Amino acid sequence: MGVMRIGHVNLRVMDMDAALRHYRDVLGLLVQGSDDSGAFYLKGWDEWDKYSVMLSPSDRAGMNHVAYKVEYDSDLDLFKDRLAEHGVDALLEPASHLPFCGRSLRFSLPSGHEMYLYADKERVGKAVGDQNPDPWPDGLKGAGAHWLDHVALQCPFDPEKGVNTVADNCRLLREALGFYLSEQVLVGPDADIQAVAFLFRTSTPHDIAFLPAPTCGIHHASFFLDGWSDVLKAADVMAKNRVKIDVTPTRHGITRGETIYFFDPSGNRNETFAGLGYLAQPDMPPITWTEENLWRGIFYHTGEAHDSFTSVYT
Amino acid sequence: MSGYRIELLTVGSEFFCPAEQPILKAMMQLGVKGIPSGCHGGGCGVCKIRVVEGQVRADSMSRAKISEAEERDNIYLACRALPLSPLTIEPLERLDRPLRKYGLI
Repeated sequence: MGVMRIGHVNLRVMDMDAALRHYRDVLGLLVQGSDDSGAFYLKGWDEWDKYSVMLSPSDRAGMNHVAYKVEYDSDLDLFKDRLAEHGVDALLEPASHLPFCGRSLRFSLPSGHEMYLYADKERVGKAVGDQNPDPWPDGLKGAGAHWLDHVALQCPFDPEKGVNTVADNCRLLREALGFYLSEQVLVGPDADIQAVAFLFRTSTPHDIAFLPAPTCGIHHASFFLDGWSDVLKAADVMAKNRVKIDVTPTRHGITRGETIYFFDPSGNRNETFAGLGYLAQPDMPPITWTEENLWRGIFYHTGEAHDSFTSVYT
Repeated sequence: MSGYRIELLTVGSEFFCPAEQPILKAMMQLGVKGIPSGCHGGGCGVCKIRVVEGQVRADSMSRAKISEAEERDNIYLACRALPLSPLTIEPLERLDRPLRKYGLI
């Protein structure tokens, strides 16, 4: 039982045609359909459920919700009770409330983000099928991203006013939802304020990250690539398509991931993330980064602050 | 190439912006500083400017960042605003944080 992985992210976009050109032609996701509300559903070629990205037309950018997939339908009842024990009122929604999904459990994180858990989603299969498959499909566009890997959320943080929703979220996910802490940043004069938390349920270094911010928002949605040469090619694809790149290919200290940060046409930050980092396991001692080294954790090569990384989000 | 002179108040610099290019992009390509650069998609709001003189046309901007009242008051996001005439503009946001207490924030 339990949470398996990130299921999908629902992003708001202001120009659907431009968004589709980005997610389909630059990231290389496969369009699976649309609905009467004008929303579009996309997946990576290596994913088997119907969608991992839902794009909703809006007059603003940002994230509507993020959803994680649990193993069994009965997990939803169990997690509803566990969340209630932690003071979080979760609502069971009927099938199809989340498009193409079975019933779902809806709640707000302490940071204000809306999160869902669900057990069933329409299955369409990988692009290479499941009978004697080739290692990759023909006709991939752009970066050819494999799957939605994780999201990083901007969480209200003002320790002097007693607000630290990075730590609140981290505690809730560990205690109520069975997530494990892989890495954290501790700051402040006594190095006891948790300013960054990376958590996992798969065997990769993170399935969700919480970052400190003045207001609730999404920092990025990240898509998986195999390795460094794929990261370089993805950057070439972005340059060809005049995508606004925030941070050119580099390496994170935290997670050891190989990365590019860039923006979709509505200004939502994306990441292409390569390398599985290390084997994350429930008994792995969590890694701690200290305040004076936190920028080496974020951008390992320069180790220097990058203003837009903290101030620019949707 | 057709375009217009853009005068940046408060920083006192001037640059040329092609008619079909957003003001922020033109500024960045010339290495001019003055308006904070963010997402370049009208979503994050850090490049907010007031158009003091001149006319612009704007592509979609996040309603969470530019209210209807602000739009009526000639406030735009520089990444989505294209010049229709020579402009005098005033940057309204600062990207650099003078004080970072906790490394990130």
